Order: sequence, then structure tokens, then C-alpha cells
Amino acid sequence: MINYIIRRFLILPFILFGVTILVFSMIMMLGPYQRLSTYINDPAQLKGQDMDKLISKYGLDDPWYEQYSRWIGGVVHGDFGWSESAGQPVTEAIFSRFPATLELALFAVIPVVMGGIWLGVLSAVHHNQKFDHIIRIISTIGWSFPTFVFGLLVLMIFYGVLGWFPPGRLSADAAAIIRSAEFVRYTGLNVLDGILNLEINVVFDAFRHLIGPIVTLAIVWWSYILRITRSSMLETLRKDYIRTARAKGVAEKFVINKHARRNALIPVVTVAGPMVLGLLGGVVIVESVFGYRGIGQYAAQAAQQLDYSGILGVAMYFSFLLILINLIVDVSYAVIDPRIRLE
Amino acid sequence: MEWKEILTRLIKNKLSLFGLIIILFFVLVAVFAPYLAPPRSPEDAYEIPRAGWQVEPQPPREGYLFGTAQGSYDIFYGMVWGTRTAFRIGVIVVGLSSLFGIIIGTLSAYYGGIIDEFFMRITDVFMSIPFLVAAMVLTTILGKGLDNVMIALVTFGWMGTARLMRSQVLEIKNEEFVQASIALGASDTRIIFKHIIANCIFPVLIQAFMRMGSMVITASALSFLGVGAPEGYADWGQMITFARDWILGGQGSALKYWYTVVIPGTAIMLFSLSWNLIGDAFRDILDPKLN
Amino acid sequence: MQKKLVVLLTLVLVFSVFSVVGAQEEVNSPNTFTYVNIGDQSTLDPHFAYDTGSSEVIYQVYETLIGYDGESVKNFTPLLSTEVPSQENGLISEDGSDYTFLIREGVEFSNGNSLTAEDVKYSFLRGMISDRSGGPIWMLYEPLFGAGFAGLSDVTADVVGVEDPKQLTDEQAEKVLAVLEDKITVDGNRVTFHLESPYPPFLNILAQGASWGSILDKEWSIEQGAWDGTAADIVASHDPVKEEDPLFDKMMGTGPFVLTEWVNGDHVVFNRNNNYWRGPANFKTAIIRNVDEWSTRKLMLLRGDADMIYAPTQYRSQVEGEDGIVVTTGIPALQNMNMILNWDITTEGNSYIGSGKLDGEGIPSDFFADEDVRKAFSYAFNYEAFIEQVRMGEAIQLRGPIVDPLLGYDENSKVYSLNLEKAEEHFQKAFDGELWETGFTMDLVYNSGNDPRKTAADMLKSYIERINPKFNINVRGVQWSTYLDASVRGTLPASFGGWLADFPDPHNFVQPFLDSSGYYANRRGDTYKNWADEVGINDLIAEGISTTDSARREEIYKKLQKMSIDNAIDLWIDQPTKSNTRRTWVKGWYPNAVRPGVDFYSMDKVAE
Repeated sequence: MINYIIRRFLILPFILFGVTILVFSMIMMLGPYQRLSTYINDPAQLKGQDMDKLISKYGLDDPWYEQYSRWIGGVVHGDFGWSESAGQPVTEAIFSRFPATLELALFAVIPVVMGGIWLGVLSAVHHNQKFDHIIRIISTIGWSFPTFVFGLLVLMIFYGVLGWFPPGRLSADAAAIIRSAEFVRYTGLNVLDGILNLEINVVFDAFRHLIGPIVTLAIVWWSYILRITRSSMLETLRKDYIRTARAKGVAEKFVINKHARRNALIPVVTVAGPMVLGLLGGVVIVESVFGYRGIGQYAAQAAQQLDYSGILGVAMYFSFLLILINLIVDVSYAVIDPRIRLE
Repeated sequence: MEWKEILTRLIKNKLSLFGLIIILFFVLVAVFAPYLAPPRSPEDAYEIPRAGWQVEPQPPREGYLFGTAQGSYDIFYGMVWGTRTAFRIGVIVVGLSSLFGIIIGTLSAYYGGIIDEFFMRITDVFMSIPFLVAAMVLTTILGKGLDNVMIALVTFGWMGTARLMRSQVLEIKNEEFVQASIALGASDTRIIFKHIIANCIFPVLIQAFMRMGSMVITASALSFLGVGAPEGYADWGQMITFARDWILGGQGSALKYWYTVVIPGTAIMLFSLSWNLIGDAFRDILDPKLN
Repeated sequence: MQKKLVVLLTLVLVFSVFSVVGAQEEVNSPNTFTYVNIGDQSTLDPHFAYDTGSSEVIYQVYETLIGYDGESVKNFTPLLSTEVPSQENGLISEDGSDYTFLIREGVEFSNGNSLTAEDVKYSFLRGMISDRSGGPIWMLYEPLFGAGFAGLSDVTADVVGVEDPKQLTDEQAEKVLAVLEDKITVDGNRVTFHLESPYPPFLNILAQGASWGSILDKEWSIEQGAWDGTAADIVASHDPVKEEDPLFDKMMGTGPFVLTEWVNGDHVVFNRNNNYWRGPANFKTAIIRNVDEWSTRKLMLLRGDADMIYAPTQYRSQVEGEDGIVVTTGIPALQNMNMILNWDITTEGNSYIGSGKLDGEGIPSDFFADEDVRKAFSYAFNYEAFIEQVRMGEAIQLRGPIVDPLLGYDENSKVYSLNLEKAEEHFQKAFDGELWETGFTMDLVYNSGNDPRKTAADMLKSYIERINPKFNINVRGVQWSTYLDASVRGTLPASFGGWLADFPDPHNFVQPFLDSSGYYANRRGDTYKNWADEVGINDLIAEGISTTDSARREEIYKKLQKMSIDNAIDLWIDQPTKSNTRRTWVKGWYPNAVRPGVDFYSMDKVAE
């Protein structure tokens, strides 16, 4: 196990290097004038621009390896460059948005994963009954409509009509409290900071803003987890030891909870890692619908504007995260799977 | 198992029969598209004709069975020709990316060692960039257009299959019959094709079925982010993206523009539902443990 | 339990479908004004900013010497100067080349420093020295140094023969600074600008809404690391990289608001300046939020969380008529849209012109150099339908580059209208009839996501292909980056253009569109440039900007308008008007075509 973790960390630099080369070579397929579009994002701004001067100012016509070594030279010194699409240094752009996305992901993961598993188990237990069919149809709907459709509908119902869950991350009053000198930003997570500063209004307000995106994410991801849990649960239920347990007269509830569910969860855990990452990356659309300023929104913006230092920054940050998450998954795999645990 | 038998069992199962019927329906629509919605000129048949220049969507009326979307694009026409696009995206993207995945997964697992290490690290690199972001960058660079969308989806869509294939092959490689062939000195090609791929392909196939439907959705996410099919191209994803700014209705009626969402939404849903149903049934049939 | 859930969900759905968002009786958060817009801000440095998003923020914090009188874009009111210079009050010299401003006394910056004439001089000098490439500062150089001067590099080349200001030696820098300082002199509380020659729109260039005319606090600016006032610092201060610019994210002005927080692309928060010399604003906090999703903006307005939003014309009908919402339409905007015809298409490596020859499979390089082709295109566009359906009636047809209500705009001048017979006639005459026989194939390219442009291209395609089956037009949407590249290389046969006024004067339209050295002339190629010179367009433009005689100017601009139409230089499409969408409790809002976005200070929130 320890060896495995060490190996993981040893290959980390190679993967990060590979990612930078991949992204860089994609972007360098474009000519200098095309890449200048990073700096001019509105046709109206073209007027009066001396484009050749701008190109040489940003060094866009240098050979790609020079541009790459300039960039990597900065990275070695902890400088990921300037992100034109964010109007901030890349590191700052990522770290200022990271708490928002983390907060969203943290609060979303529990209802999404637990709800998905719960529904999946129910659906498997009621295999081929009406309940199963309904769940499957609903989950297909959840999976078949683009996320933005649900996002807008959630916004319409819970904000437009009911007025409960507004878009954005904070309302103006709560934001003013957070800006005030007495308020200490411990973590950047609004809910947590609100609790630590004993500002119940901030906690409440931050939470209100989280629900819309969470509900939207839940609709989309439930169907995914549900599907995996269901099929894995079905498979487990047909296994010999379950049949034996049933034959022995063990109560059905006990069979499902104690024997079947645990084993059925193994494949779920394997997909949980990529899923958390998917949640983080997949917030692109949810964040833009809800006007929620996070990493997803930034990634989309940087990609559209061909802001290469921005994309590289996000990609490297995601690689780090991916490796970290996979590590956690492997450990929990060992915890759940008795065969590995015993070794 | 015989293909004939698989088919019989697919038809016998109510759910997969339902799936098959829908797929068949879509196939018919795709085949007869030129008769259902005659194009103005055969060269740009995928260009959705515009009923006028009006921006606001207009409800179904004579001549425009499903109404017109934002920009007066004929929804019926877009749906009919979009069926062809859906199949094209599904088949090409899933086919090519699965093929890549199978090749890389098999080679890694079969040869192991440095080759395995090399391919798996490349897989890691490709998996490290969030899929949507990577696809966006590539389509932005290649330019708008369905071909470019497909290239991007294939480029960043093969890793799942590769990993699945690799784990399958690893399992089978140590089975006696494979080891026996190796001992008998059979050529690598023969072993790979005869024993390994034939025995590992089914999980990959099932996975491919499941991905067919989701490709249309991914393409629509790209349309939403502004890098999908060109404006006015017959594509379901684009048709539903046209609804973006009208979903919530207006002037007191939330349902004012329902047709802009419901029609393309239903088509995408049925398409992906039927592939899923067939995939599910397929799994039940092919999983030897269940027989 | 499941049944209950289903019932609940159904109820929520039914409720949401049939209920109309209720109107609020009271004013939401009376102490905060929230404006929800799209886009972001590029910088907060008034000398660097050249986009509406940035200027909107700068407008709230910094002030200029003079302002506009309400809705007018021609009449001024005093602001930081106590009088508007004119020849009558003697503050503009007889020959029209010296402008004097009397600086208001008792005005303080929000940090408590007093405004002095020295601050004013420093502000303009700092702008002229920083002069970033592609920035707005050319507007100061042209009047102060004369035509042909567009930046510091032109001055250094002229004075000490150095093309690049970054290469100046200290000694040369001294000379350059001396020349600059001669142009703006201070005498007590009087600041005088010495122009090279009369320049009629000079006051417009300095007036409210022009962020480059903002007055900075000299002491504060130097503390932040901006140009320190010495010649030695010119090299370091010239053409800064955006992120290293000391004023990139800091502001200190005399205006009604102070910057509290700027989170680029998300929100800008201002707090009231309680010592503002015209009296404090009506609310404590003003917020500009950036939300790109239209539906989200719409809901925020309907809920009353936004007091004012940006509502694009095409979606406005969704909120019009809702309780508590008021929409003002038909606000003139100094901007236009046209299709620039490339008279001299670059054929090398060009995939937009088919074969590149007159053989039915493509178009030749000089396709649009033929006047009849241009006229035929002009007749094959449905201006009326474009304005009625795409702009939903909120635009007027262009009559050349100059827009309403600027000098030279004449609402009775000749324009084109859709006339397929005339178009056919001109196509038959083009290339001595050859074009009609062989036909042509070309691409019309627009940048993806710009729907009006796509519709305009579709329209041309639909009408022109109707005229002759041998005519083929492919409409192609390309990424913004590709579009930018192609328009620079001159490979686009026709491209869309638009201009948003820097200052309200016809010169700001004729120069970029018609002059051989203008921005859009480049897109038409050398054939156009030579032609414009031959027929005297350049001379007319030069005369127009150096004449103070208003009647003569009008005559000149009318003539230029007429030439643009008679020769069908471009396809002149329209001048869109703007609208404003806000809650009824917002009082005091007024339109002004030059102002970048909102003016928080003028507004208040009062319940009905």
C-alpha cells in the first residue's frame, strides 16, 4: 500500500508535464493573430488596435518552445502567469474561486451520492416492479436533458416563483458582513466561516444560495449513481451467499442491508472518484446558469478565450486533484472490500 | 452465443423491444428524411430553413408542424435531419473512441511492463483535463463544425474504454486457455484476436451502447458553451440550445415557448432511453453469470 | 410517502406554471442599488480602459472637467471646471486653438486631498505618457499635436528621432517632457490646453463619459507607483503591461462613489462618498453585478433583487408589461453596423473565395472593386425586415457612416432599399456582363454567436441566390479568433463592422470608416485607399476636422454621407437604438448616448 502511494507521487510530475505539453501543443496550433483574440474579447474593442504591436508585446510570435519555456520558467518560481480571461494572476484566479466550488461540491456530494445509492438499492430490490420502472424512466429523463434545462427550471421554480433560493453566491447584505473588518475569512467557505464567526445570517444566506445548484446537480448525477448501484446490487443479489442467507431464513431487510449493499457498493466507490472530479468539472454549466463564481465557470471562460495560462492552470490543478481523489478512493476501496482489507 | 438467439431474446424482453422499436423509428426517420422534410437544395440539406427573420420563437402552425425556434428556424425540419446527425455522432464517436480504447487497453494489458506503463500514463494525462474543458479547447482551435466536435469527443473519449478493456484483458490473460495457447507458441496476433478480444468485448459493447445516447447530450453541452455545431445546423443539441433564453416563458405564461424545449428534449430522451434499454437487456443476456 | 412526494411535486409544478411573479409593493433594499449587466471589466485605470465595461466603473468614481447637460450630447455643463469654455466667455481663444478651464475650488478627492490645477495637468500628462498600445490616448494626441500624431511614439520620433519611447535616454526624455508640458499649462487655478490647430470636438473628448479625461489625485497616484512626474520615469511608465499597471485595480477620484470591492467578472461594489461636492448620493451602496445568463437576470429583476438589468432587444418582450417593471425604448445610441466590402481580397491561402477567379466557382480578388457588384448587394438586402424583425423595430437605417443626431446626418438623404430588379440590373452590368453569365460562389463569414450578423448574411444569401441560380453564397460562422485573424489578413470578401462612438462628433465616424488611414480602410485594401485619395475623401475629412465653421462642416459631412451611398462603398445597414429595463421604483434615470452604462448618482429608489 505504502509503496503504491509512493509510486503514485513519483509519477505525478510526469503526468503534470504531459498535461502541459498536451494543452500547449493544442493552443500553439493557432497563429499569433488568432491567439491575440485572448486579449481582445469583443469585436468592438478592435478599433484603433495596433495588432502587430500587441503581438510583439505579448510575445505571441515567438517559437512555441520559447513561449513554453517562458511559461514553465515562471511555474518553477511558483508563477503560473497572468490569466487574461480572469483579469488576475492564474494562481489567484484559481484560489479565489476554489472555495466556492469546493463548498458546492462538499454540500452536493452527500445528497447526491447518498440519494443516488438509496434510490439505486430501492430500485434493485423492487426489480422489474412498477417502482423500478418509474425510477428508471425518471433517471433517464435526468440523464437525457442538458443540465442547463434543469438549472433554469430549478431557478424558475425555487427563485422566480417561490423566492427561496436566489442565484449567485451571497446576497448584498451578507456580502457586506463578510467584507467588514471584524469578519475573519478562515476557510473561504461561506457557510463554515459564518459558523466560525457566529454570523447566523451569513450561514443562512450562503446556504440558501447553494441549494439551487445542488438540486440541479443532484437531478443529473442521481441518475448516474442510481444506475451503477442498481446494476451492481442486482448482480450481488443473485450471488450464492445471498441466496444461501435467504434460504436460511435471514430476514430480507437484514440480507439487503448487511450483505448485499456492502458488496454492491464496491463498484460505486470506484466511480465515486471520477464522479467527484466530474462534479467539480461538470459544474461548468451549473455555475454559469446560477451566476455562481467558481472554477467551472472560470475553466469555460478560459477555454473559450484561448487563455492558455488559464487553461493550463486549471488543468494542472485538476490533475493534482484527480491523483489525490484516486488515492482516497483506493484507500476506501481497501476499507470496504474484505478481500483487500485482509491482505 | 448465436446472434440470432441474442436478437430473439432482445425482442422477447418487453423493455428492450420498446427500445428496439424506438431506434427503428429513428432509423426510418433518418432514412426518409429527404421525403419527410424536403431540403431546398441537396448540398445544404443540414441547413435548417428559416421561416423568416424573426427572433422570437413562434408556436406550431400550418407548414411548421412543431413551430419555429429562436431565429425562425423550422423545428420539424431540424428534428428530422437532426436524427441523421444524432446517429452520425453516436456511431462515429462511440465507434472510433471504443476502437482506440480497445487497442490501447489490449496492448497495455497483454504486453505489460513498459508498454503498459507508457500507455497508462498517456491515459492519465488525457484524463487529467476535465472532459468538457478539453473538448472545448479543441473545438475552439479546430473551429466550429460537427466534424470538429466529433474529433474532440473522440480525442478525449477513449480513456474509459481503454481502462475497462485493460482490466478485462488482465483478468483473462491468466486463464488457462490463454496461457495454453502462449505455451503452444501461437502468434501474438492470433492470441489477441482469437482468445482475448473475443472474450473481453462484451462489457465494452455494453458500455458503448450506454454511451450512444449520451453523446448527443455532450454535443449539446458544447453547443451551449458556444462551440458546437454551426448556427442553423440540424442537430438536436443545437435545437435545445435554441431554447436557452426562452425556457422560462414570458409575459406571465411560463409555458409560452414550451415547444422549443419539449420537442427536442423528448427526442433526445427517447433516443438515449432506447439505447440504454437495449444495453441493459444486452447485459442480462450476455452476462454468463446470470445464465 | 412516495404518493405524498408526487403530490407535492405536482403542486409545485402546477403552481409555478400558473402563478405570475408577484409585484412588490415596497422598495427592496432602499439603501442599495443593484444593476445587473453582462460581461466584465478590463481594468480600472482610466488611461488604459477602452471598453464600456471598464468605463462604466470609472464613471462612478472619477470625474471630468465638464459634463453633458442631461440627455444632450452637444450641450455641456461645468463639472470640475467652473465654466464651460467658449469663445463668448473668452476661455477658447479667437483662433480656436487654446482652451482654458477654471478649476473648481473646495473639491476633495475621497481620501481628503484637495483638487488642484496641478492634479489636472498631471492627469493628462500621465495619460499621454502611459499611452498603452491599442489604447484610447490617440484622442489626446491628435488635437494637441495635429493630424498624423497618434501617440507618444510619434512625438518622440518627431522631437528626438526615437521611434520607441522605451529607448529614450534621460536627456531625450527631458526634451520630450518639455514638449508635452508646453501643451498643457497651469496658471493659478487655470489650466490651458494649447492645440496644434482648431479641433472642433475637443470639448467632447474631455467631457463626462470619456474615461481618458478623468482627473486623478497626483499625490495619491505617485504613491501607488504611477508616473512620478519626472522625465526619467517616462521609459518605465510608458505602455504598461495591464497587470503591472499601478492603477489597474485601485481608484481615487472626486466622484460620488468610492470603490469598495472589485471581483472581476462577478461584481463591483461602490460605497457612497459622503463628502461629495455636489452632495451625497441617494443610496449607501451601488452594485454592478455581471450575470451572462439572460433568464437569471430576468428573474432577478422580477424578484426585485435587481433594480435595473441589461435586457437585449430580442428578449425584452418577456418582461415588458410585467407589474413593477418599466422599459424605455428607442434611446439613441451612437453606434452603427455595416458590412465592409473588401475591394482587394487577399487570394493567397484564402478558403473563402472558392477558385479565386471569375469562373462561377469563386470570386476574383477585385470582385467588390466593381461598383455594380456593390450596388447590386446593396439592393439585395431587406433593410426593412432586418429592422422590424431582427431589431424588433429598434433601429434606423444607416445613411452612410454618420449616425443620428450628429452633424451631417440628414434623415432625407438617399438610401437603398430591397429592390431585386435593380439588383439584377446591376449584376448584369457587372464585369461587362461576364459575371451574369458565369455566376459566382463565395462565403459570407460572421463570428459565431453574433445572431444579427448571421441573419444579415442569411438574408443576402436568400435574396441574391434568388436573382440568378448561378450565384452561390455560403454563410459560415467561425470562431472569434479565426474571424480576427482573417479580417487582419484581408481574406474575408466581406466582413461585418460596427463602431461605437468615442466622442459624439461625425469625425469619429468618417475617419475610421472612410479615410485611407482609417481603421476600416485596411479591410477594404489598397484599391480602396487609392480610390478614396483620388476622389478627395481624405481631403474632405482633413478639412472637416480643422474647420470651426459649423455650416461648412455640415456641408462636408453631408457630402461624405452622399459619397458613401452613391458609390456603395459598404453595405450600410443600421444604427440600433438602445433600451433600458428597470423597476418602477427607480427614479431619476435619464438616457444619454455617450454615457457608458448607468449613472448611479442621478438615481433614487422611491416607492410608488
